[in-house]
Amino acid sequence: MIYFTELQHTDAYDVNGEYLGRLQDMCVDPAHNSLLVASYLVRTPDKRTLCITHDQMQSISIRQIQAAVPAAQIRCYAPDEGLLHLHNEVLDQQIIDVNHRKVVRVNDVDLDIQPRNGHTELRVLAVNVGLAAAVRRLLQGLMAKHSLRSFSRLFPSSTIPWEFVNLIESDPARRVKLRISYDRVARLHPADIADILEELSHDEQRVIIESLDEETAAQALSEIPTHMQAALLESFTRDKAADIVEEMAPDEAADVLQEMSPETSAELLAGMEKEEAKDVRELLGFEERTAGALMTTDFIMVGDQATVEGAIAALKHYEGPVESIHSIYLVDMQGNLTGAVPIGRILLAESSTPLKELAVDLLVSVESQADQKRVVDLFQKYNLLSLPVVDDKNHLLGVVTVDDVLEIALNRE
Amino acid sequence: MNLRKLRHYRTNLLIFLALVGPGIITANVDNDAGGIYTYSVAGARYGYSLLWTLIPITVALIVIQEMVARMGVVTGKGLADLIREEYGFRMTFFVMILLLLANLGNTVADFAGLASGMSVLGVSRYFVVPLSALIVWGLVVKGTYRIVEKVFLVACVFYLAYPVSAFLSRPDWTESMVQLIKPNFHFESGYIFLLIGMVGTTITPWMQFYLQSAVVDKGLKIKDYMHSRWDVIVGCVITDVVAFFIIVACAATIFVGGHKDIRDAADAALALGPLAGKAATIVFAFGLCNASLFSASIIPLSTAYCVCEGLGVESGLNKRFHEAPAFYWLYTALIVIAALIVIVLREELQIPLILLSQVANGLLLPFVLIFMLRLINRADLMGVYRNSRLFNAIAWTTSIIMIVLTGVWLGSMLFPGHTPL
Repeated sequence: MIYFTELQHTDAYDVNGEYLGRLQDMCVDPAHNSLLVASYLVRTPDKRTLCITHDQMQSISIRQIQAAVPAAQIRCYAPDEGLLHLHNEVLDQQIIDVNHRKVVRVNDVDLDIQPRNGHTELRVLAVNVGLAAAVRRLLQGLMAKHSLRSFSRLFPSSTIPWEFVNLIESDPARRVKLRISYDRVARLHPADIADILEELSHDEQRVIIESLDEETAAQALSEIPTHMQAALLESFTRDKAADIVEEMAPDEAADVLQEMSPETSAELLAGMEKEEAKDVRELLGFEERTAGALMTTDFIMVGDQATVEGAIAALKHYEGPVESIHSIYLVDMQGNLTGAVPIGRILLAESSTPLKELAVDLLVSVESQADQKRVVDLFQKYNLLSLPVVDDKNHLLGVVTVDDVLEIALNRE
Repeated sequence: MNLRKLRHYRTNLLIFLALVGPGIITANVDNDAGGIYTYSVAGARYGYSLLWTLIPITVALIVIQEMVARMGVVTGKGLADLIREEYGFRMTFFVMILLLLANLGNTVADFAGLASGMSVLGVSRYFVVPLSALIVWGLVVKGTYRIVEKVFLVACVFYLAYPVSAFLSRPDWTESMVQLIKPNFHFESGYIFLLIGMVGTTITPWMQFYLQSAVVDKGLKIKDYMHSRWDVIVGCVITDVVAFFIIVACAATIFVGGHKDIRDAADAALALGPLAGKAATIVFAFGLCNASLFSASIIPLSTAYCVCEGLGVESGLNKRFHEAPAFYWLYTALIVIAALIVIVLREELQIPLILLSQVANGLLLPFVLIFMLRLINRADLMGVYRNSRLFNAIAWTTSIIMIVLTGVWLGSMLFPGHTPL
């Protein structure tokens, strides 16, 4: 095994031992073979850049590299967007490590030397992100290469196999040429994607979000700070942004819309499905720090004459996030809240049982204008998981769930 | 709402600071203990006659800070990140070591400023330094968003202490206004040295790193850039307005009164007393404590962030200790070492250390300025937001002047043939 930075700046010779220059960079051609070093760029003393292809390379060592052909047969380097340059585009850059679900900075690239029919090939094994590589780079040129190697082994090393490395490229055309896709990233848990997003710059975040489906995008976005969400959404087309906001929980959507300018927020609402937009609009109307501002409109309610069967049917049609269905709420013909049935009781009961019989004895609800503090107190006192919110006529408006309350309670400490 | 976001709201001090306005926070941190001391000496020794330098300093500060903010907005990356990506590991390491040394010195100066300010108010340093180190550490690591928010807003308001103490000193306002716009240069080594000191204490390397990261954290986009530019300009003006009042307060009392030698900023506070009354002393000392504590809570944190980011080590308050050990150790070590130095070492022994940190600052500035100017002219990075030719002319001129001044400053500090400060 050999490290990229050990080879950098080594002297290059042609087959006759004629000095060519110093090795500057290496390129991988992902369209053909994403592991093989396809060409070696050599900087000549007269400032030209030569490109030795992999089949022209005879031998490689940390002392020198030698081409298998005479200098006359080595062509000059012509910039090629399809090539991935290890020095310019990998070394010192941030990459996504999908295995550990985080963003790391590359300290070095590990290469494998393989002899092949009389010439030598290098294969990219891994990127090195550990302390050992950092120490090696710091002391390079100050110590003999071999002693530096043994010295750096005293420090912990950490590598990411090349196949798990996701380069971050914000130019879509370039991404296609370099065969970069974020499929693996898209399969991570939205919370992990959010962690990754937070480490990236704005353009890079946009690239990742664009490669996700709208639902995952909405979930991942919901987990990053609201001002970042707003900044990202504003960078998409109105349609795309509206599609993402539509997939967010209504209370999350209301939060982020509140963070944007009124015009943008109105445009996004106009671009959303009527039903979802209506929910979000209602939430936007509530004053800050009230129960109304805290609640979500994703909940299940059924008529108070319904049976367990009816409740199960309502559950099947429910499209919101599962966190907000701790209970199913019962309303009368006028929409007044009359009861709450914990989901567990419904699952355990016979399908013909009227829901009224399963309802909790003491129905606790709160008015939408009530202060957040009152909400927290009610959760604390009655050990609630969710709390229905009603208007002054006892019409059911929404539900506050325990996760939202926990946040306020912790902040209040 | 979502539980995970909580981590940020509870702990992410930087996000809060970014929301207030990165430029204004940078400005307030810039007027730290070292800055207050330099301005006090300027007023005490030369009266109103150094006031004119504030206008060119403000212009230079705006030119440089504007570029940093622009880079932050356009690239979405911190300055340390950009330097790492462009100039490689070793250069970044070198820059980060200098930054670490310089900022350790700044933190020492801040704790020392706090200690001497508090001694004017009658509180022992052995009590106040450990306590404030603990408060600073705790506020950042354990503090909740609401508390941090309140504390920092209050601290920002307390910078009004300086205008108040200036008014209490009953200065000659007409004279100070005339001197503000009338350049008058003395060819005297002490004067020149102090002038350079004022430039050096106002335009520092750390603030370029801090401001750019803060702009990035705020998630500003290019269309908000005008807003951000104003934030920067207002911040730069605030820095020098505060400086103006400090100089005026000292000029009207210490300079006029005739005893012109002050050892530290707390000395300046005491010297205000006989002429401007006890209230002026207390207000001035209070302002010093406030500014020192404010800087001491931000500089170690921003240093730890910056060094870890540049070197590619995990960082961030939203990570746990075992996830980002280097970050937490660095942050804690900066505070603990700085506080220990102030408590344990005698003042004569602190001087070499402060000198070392000023040398680090001086060495760092040319690198930072040149890197900045090269990065901001890169088409692939900045696109149409590169410097215009005119702006480049202004920026290069400013930077070269800064570098020359810093060189002179370093030279006379390392080879003291001139009258020292």
